[in-house]
Amino acid sequence: MNGVTKTKILLAAALTLCASEAAYSQAKKPTIMVVPSDVWCNKNGYTTTYDNQGAKALQPNYKAALQDNTDLLLVISKINELMQERGFPLKNLESSLKSLDNQAAEDAMLMSKSGAAAAESPIDKLKQVAKADIWMQVTWSINQTGPKKSITFNLQGLDAYTDKQVAGASGTGQPSFSSELPVLLEEATLSHIDNFNAQLQSHFDDMAANGREVALRIRVWDSFDGDLESEYNGEELRSIIEDWVADNTVNKQFSTADATENIMLLEQVRIPLYNEKNRALDTRAWASGLQKMLRDKYQIEAKVMMKGLGQAQLVIGEK
Amino acid sequence: MKSMRTWIGLAAAALTAASCGTAKKLADTDTRQWRYEIEAAGVGAQGSYLVKVWSYSKDAGVAIEQAKKNAVHGVIFKGFTSNVRGVPSQKPLVSAPAMEAERKDFFEPFFADGGGYQKFVNLSSNGAIAPGDRIKIGKEYKIGVVVSVNAAALRKELEKAGIAKKLGSI
Repeated sequence: MNGVTKTKILLAAALTLCASEAAYSQAKKPTIMVVPSDVWCNKNGYTTTYDNQGAKALQPNYKAALQDNTDLLLVISKINELMQERGFPLKNLESSLKSLDNQAAEDAMLMSKSGAAAAESPIDKLKQVAKADIWMQVTWSINQTGPKKSITFNLQGLDAYTDKQVAGASGTGQPSFSSELPVLLEEATLSHIDNFNAQLQSHFDDMAANGREVALRIRVWDSFDGDLESEYNGEELRSIIEDWVADNTVNKQFSTADATENIMLLEQVRIPLYNEKNRALDTRAWASGLQKMLRDKYQIEAKVMMKGLGQAQLVIGEK
Repeated sequence: MKSMRTWIGLAAAALTAASCGTAKKLADTDTRQWRYEIEAAGVGAQGSYLVKVWSYSKDAGVAIEQAKKNAVHGVIFKGFTSNVRGVPSQKPLVSAPAMEAERKDFFEPFFADGGGYQKFVNLSSNGAIAPGDRIKIGKEYKIGVVVSVNAAALRKELEKAGIAKKLGSI
């Protein structure tokens, strides 16, 4: 093998390595989904009422709204189209609901050769709803002044885990004598989408600079011999947890929103987008680090449960 | 006598061309110095902004032509406010104004006569100027022209050149 061939092989190897690094270093993007707001569903009669431990509660019925309201379908499809064009691909609400239905039907029929059914806990069942990391909540109302009609349009981008509004655009369109409602709705969507996207991109930029903002909830099983105030090597368990969180966040950014002997709620936790191996990191993978530390250093078992990219729950005591 | 007339004619044509050229150069300088105003004029077609640009020039024709350049420049670096109900203000596509100087290699040919900016702009109503939008101030005109800027395509071009950050990227 001559020198030139060796150099070529080395170059090829280096390029392959770079390419695989680049593939790893893609941060996990939040998923986005457009939904009608609760107010809109309530005003238009797309809600279901249920009894929540004695209190009457309303829940938006997205399926009924999508099957019945063509204006809603138009707004959602227009927003999807515009967001896709601008580099923010969205999950579609209608397709997500259909997939859930199909999955539920398949799960009901799922059976092994020996006749065993697939295991499902109550939590698994509860989690089978349409999911997104950012909800784009859309509301509009029609204003009528004499023969003139106008639309008040409101688009909110809500982070599913921190409950923060990360983007928003709203306003009232020009009154018109002749334009039909779908035309007014399309105009409203077109005029507001760019400002909304600019704010959403600022949120993404902030994420790149300061880490992903997530929440971590710590609880204890009642079978656990101790609580968060129990001492290990002279230090309370919750201080041990806080120290680990401080060491594993961007610029030690987090705040303890709630702390009792059984529950801890850590909010505004800024986790890095990549781990030390330069792989994309989500809250579950990040919280698994805490689980590992507790097991290795203090022989405490814990169970990690996740909710999308941005929320994790660690229950201490057993798995 | 005939040759004299020809000479006079040629000299007049040269003078007109020279003054037009000077007005054009001045208008280009005005664009670089952000001497124009831009405001919303209505809701544009999908992906585009309908804006009114106020440009200054001694030559009304130059001001109208310069409006296209100014509109693209404004959408990239200035953004615009809105007094039109239902039309929101828009932020500039590039948030760092220094980018124009930093990326001279891109912007100089882009804003040159016949440059790339032309792909992203159209005169609305064939460039017709409303009576109130042609104002004489001292020796020059301030002319308001409504143009449509294809902001979505313009953004893609800037992303391709590495000037604007790709939307949706972390």
